[in-house]
Amino acid sequence: MDRYLTVDRGACAGHGLCYGAAPEIVDCDDQGDPIILTEPVPDGMVGQAEHVVDICPERALALQESLQESPSA
Amino acid sequence: MPTTRADVRPDLVVDFDIYDPALTMPVDRMQERTAELAKVGPIVWSPAYGGHWLVTAYDEVHEILRDPATFSSYPNNLVDAGQGKFLPIELDPPEHTSYRQALQPLFNPTRMRALEPRIRELVVELIEKFQGAGRVEFVEEFAHELPTTVFLALMGWPLEDAPMFTEATEIAMNGKPGDTPEQAVASRTEAAMQMFGYFMQIIHTRRAAAEAGEELDDITTAVMKTRIKDAEGVERDLTDDELARMFFLLLIAGLHTVQGTLCWMMLHLSTNTDQRDTVIADADAIPAAVEEVLRYESQIAMGRRAVRDVEIGGVTIKADDQLLLLLCSANRDDSQFADPQSLQVDRTPNRHLAFGSGPHRCIGSHLARVELRIAMEEIHKRIPDYRLDPEDPAVVLPSQVRGFARLPLLFTPVTSS
Ligand code: HEM
Ligand code: SF4
Repeated sequence: MDRYLTVDRGACAGHGLCYGAAPEIVDCDDQGDPIILTEPVPDGMVGQAEHVVDICPERALALQESLQESPSA
Repeated sequence: MPTTRADVRPDLVVDFDIYDPALTMPVDRMQERTAELAKVGPIVWSPAYGGHWLVTAYDEVHEILRDPATFSSYPNNLVDAGQGKFLPIELDPPEHTSYRQALQPLFNPTRMRALEPRIRELVVELIEKFQGAGRVEFVEEFAHELPTTVFLALMGWPLEDAPMFTEATEIAMNGKPGDTPEQAVASRTEAAMQMFGYFMQIIHTRRAAAEAGEELDDITTAVMKTRIKDAEGVERDLTDDELARMFFLLLIAGLHTVQGTLCWMMLHLSTNTDQRDTVIADADAIPAAVEEVLRYESQIAMGRRAVRDVEIGGVTIKADDQLLLLLCSANRDDSQFADPQSLQVDRTPNRHLAFGSGPHRCIGSHLARVELRIAMEEIHKRIPDYRLDPEDPAVVLPSQVRGFARLPLLFTPVTSS
């Protein structure tokens, strides 16, 4: 089953903990907002993806089975 | 009608003044005091400064920070130094947004990571200056020097001006030591004026250089080129006055905060030596340790003002009520953090709010993290057994950005090779 990491842009406050913790999966843009690098998340990285979902202070990240754009993107 | 003391449930009225020197002197009891407030309630009332609400709990602080339509960022300070609004921290969206978008790329994570080699050189140079002595007054010789030097290089301001604006900024924020409340207002206003004069000079120097065809490559120049969208969506340049307010904020936001966090890192790791051993043994543990120090002693208490009546945390806040958000107690809220009073350098998850949240979340966090991480790495490589000097205790100052005046440390001297 493919898994996708998604960002709720409305909730994200640019804390940068996600791309600090897992730069292989999440990078950042010029404004310091996260960019998801791997779509879908490779099997070997699902554990790391779960970790970044867990550390986000805004609960802005989610691991989903399909790619849904968040409405505020 | 804003809330007055008579409107507040008597058990929620507390005796607390964030500027009271007795909170941190002779011993820093801020955490103890704010933990007592948190026991009274998530939101309590202090009669000081015409009366204001103190928000102590994580969820309420988080909610308020993310709701700028209800809780305005102006004024952010309980005591006004008569300097007008600080930009962009005292603007609300949508006005705030274009200033923010202009500043953010200048301090973005990629740029800040690129500074790492220069910051490391500076850190090593500072440590080498005192490592042979076996003792150091850590504020003056390291914690103050590091962020100041990095910041001045980024802004392109002369290093020799640092003592002048360090003093003026300190007075603008806290008044002069020994001032009566009235004198403090006067000293703060005077110091703020001195800083504005300084910034005007900086701005004129840049303009003159540009006219002579020698444009400088620094953040000051980049900020000066910023175009802002006003309320009608029309683009325009920043005025000199706006530039000065922005530079002043960067200075206040970027120096004291990093200085304080560096000092707390030393203080708490020196008294939690098992935690320090983790950091010494494994440099990979350092990024998480930095986050834990930020959580453990969050030094900022930001202000907000309600723009309408609102129910939150079991109280009714009325339009025009002032609030003070105590990050230090929010970040030790046991509904969010397990065993919050203990320092655990490997804490995860660690969703602390030391950099705030919502639209004003700290722009400088990426820079701050690089400075803190490199300092932690190099200090633990060189003088890992530092301890407090029992003869010469630390001096902590209260205020909305709590910080250190002195932190004397002892350690085994490093003999130069
Ligand atoms: C450990 C270091 C630091 C801490 C704990 C910290 C904390 C904070 C907090 C809590 C806020 C939000 C204030 C509010 O919501 O009212 C903030 C905003 C801000 N910080 Fe920091 N800060 C640090 C370092 C820095 C540095 C190094 C810089 C600059 C280079 C900086 C620049 C700013 C700016 C410009 C804002 C205002 C952002 C806005 O209004 O949109 N900070 N900081
Ligand atoms: S940790 Fe969460 S809030 Fe921070 S940048 Fe990543 S997604 Fe955004």
